[in-house]
Order: sequence, then C-alpha cells, then structure tokens
Amino acid sequence: MRELKKVRRAGLRSLLLMSVTYASLWVAGCSESKRELPILGQKDTKVKMVDGKEVIDTIYHQIPDFEFLNQDSVLISQKNFAGKIYIADFFFTTCPTICPKMKTQMLRIYDKYKDNPKVAILSHTIDPRHDTPGVLKEFSKNLGISGSQWQFVTGDKAKIYELGQKSYMVTATEDNTQPGGIVHSGAFILVDENRHIRGIYDGTLPEKVDMLMKDIDLLLDKKQ
Amino acid sequence: MKYFPFLLALAALFSACDSKEDLKKKQYYVEGMELYKTHCANCHQNDGKGLVGLYPPLAGSDFMLKNKELVICAIRNGLSDTIVVNGKTYHQPMPPNSQLLALDIAEISTYIYKQWGNKEEITETKEVEKILEKCKKK
Repeated sequence: MRELKKVRRAGLRSLLLMSVTYASLWVAGCSESKRELPILGQKDTKVKMVDGKEVIDTIYHQIPDFEFLNQDSVLISQKNFAGKIYIADFFFTTCPTICPKMKTQMLRIYDKYKDNPKVAILSHTIDPRHDTPGVLKEFSKNLGISGSQWQFVTGDKAKIYELGQKSYMVTATEDNTQPGGIVHSGAFILVDENRHIRGIYDGTLPEKVDMLMKDIDLLLDKKQ
Repeated sequence: MKYFPFLLALAALFSACDSKEDLKKKQYYVEGMELYKTHCANCHQNDGKGLVGLYPPLAGSDFMLKNKELVICAIRNGLSDTIVVNGKTYHQPMPPNSQLLALDIAEISTYIYKQWGNKEEITETKEVEKILEKCKKK
C-alpha cells in the first residue's frame, strides 16, 4: 500500500514537472516573435580602455571586403551591399547535382523579395574558368533575373574558395571523382547589414528555405 | 519503400486482372518514376515543368513527342545542342548519365512519356538498346 502511494506521489510529481515544462514551452512559444538570431562564427574579445576603465569588447565574425566581376562585367564589392541583408551561395552553371535545386529555391526567395531594396542575393561561381560574366549573364537571363538585386559573381578562383571557406564557412573543393568535378555544400548564408552571418540553411530543401525567409523577415522587422 | 515495386507487383498478381504485359508496364512506370526523381527532377522538377528558361519542361513538350530517339540518347550521353521546346530556345547543356543502363532508361522513358506525353505504351529495353547503339555511331 505504501509502495503504491509512493508510486502515485512520484506520478503526481512528474505530472507537475511536465505541466511546468509545457507551460514554459508555451510561454516561450508566445514570445517567438521576439526571437533573436545568433551571430555565427568565431568570436574574439578585445580589452578596451573606456574612461580609464577596462572594458571587454566582443568582436564578431564578419565578412571581409571583397571585389568580384558580376554578370554585367561590373566590379562589385561589399559597398554594393551596404545597409542590406543578403543571402550568399556558391554554385556553378554546369553543376548537374545540387545547384539546380538551389537555384529553384533561390528563385523563391527572389520572387518573394523582388523590388525590396533592403534584400539582395549574391551567388558566387566556384568554376570561374567556365563561368565568365557572359556565361553568368546568359544563366541569369534564362532564370528570368533582371536588375541588380541578384548578383552573380566571378573572379579569382583561389579568392572565391578562400572567401567561401573562411568567411562564409561553407565547403568547396575540387574532386574529379564527383559529377561536375567540384564538391560543394548547398548552403544559403544569411548576412545582415553589419556583415555578420545570422544563419546557414540547406538551400536544397524547401522547408529549410521557408525558415530562411522567416529569418529574413525577422531581420527586416528589426531594421524598421 | 525498397519493396514497393515488388509489393505492387504482388498485389497486381493477386488481383489477377492484369495481364503480364500490363504488369510489366506498371513496373516500368513505378521504377521509372523513382529513377526520374533521382536523376532528372533536380533540373526538370518533380512536376516536369522545368525551370524558367534554363531547363526545358517535359510536361506538354512538343520536342519530347517529336524526338523520342534523341531524348533517349540525351538521357545517356547528355546534350549540348540548342533545342527549341514549345517555341522557346534552350541552350543550357544537359549532363550525361553514363551510369544508367538500357533498362533504367526504358523505365524513365516509359514514365515520362506516360506522365507527360499521354503515351500509354511501354518503352521496351530492347528498343532502347537499339537506339543507344545508333546514337553511339553518330
């Protein structure tokens, strides 16, 4: 009998615990609109002297300056993205595997934020030998892209790879055993107006891209 | 999922209404759908509608109906010619799929022509083998 009581008490306790957990989840769920996106990448700290006092400053990972040729053979740099949120990706026009999926998804983003001056897209080719500005122009035209909101860029291969790996934190390497000769991730990288990475999403999956678009809205909301 | 075609075949066997020929056709269609999703849908999309001006549609494509042999060759060997589909020009090269066997291509062809070309007949593996021989010589 006593055993039974113990069991019952334990049951009650876990029930209570469960309801508390659910309640807190519910509250957390309500405050979803105030969700903050993290700043991704390696953080560094710097000790600064402010008014004679030591203050520790956090230095967040940031996309460095860059300069590439776009589909109109115009040099573009970080300046073209000043004050904008942008989505970056890495692809090549003859890629038979994941790029078509990525471009299908990126087109959804383009269609949703078309003509929004605060949102831009930056697609880097990782096969610059083949993907000259002319090839990129043709490709973007066939995708139905016009204007300057979606930039397709090419440049020095080593620089593109380095920027991809070190700054955007995605993989891109040559591998002749793979179809197309290059392995790369299908990531979409969300960059805010301070050049901080706020999210990395699988650009081949519609549901992940839904999430990305929610996060873009979140950043846009905050800006207003 | 792996056993799905097998189960389907079994179910069809028990229903006993389907002739052997019908059963084979269904098998080709189901296998072809899976192969299509793996090897073709990245560009041509699951619904066969293609992607804007980059990848041509299969659904309602006049080109596909008129050029079955070329389509079969292109699945195996790729295509780098400019083609005109429903009056629109496409020149994005199609990569080869040299790993696909004649049987795979016959199944894909059966699927795409039934799904989007209103062609009920099966594409026979033997037929594909003959066509593949021919496109090699070109």
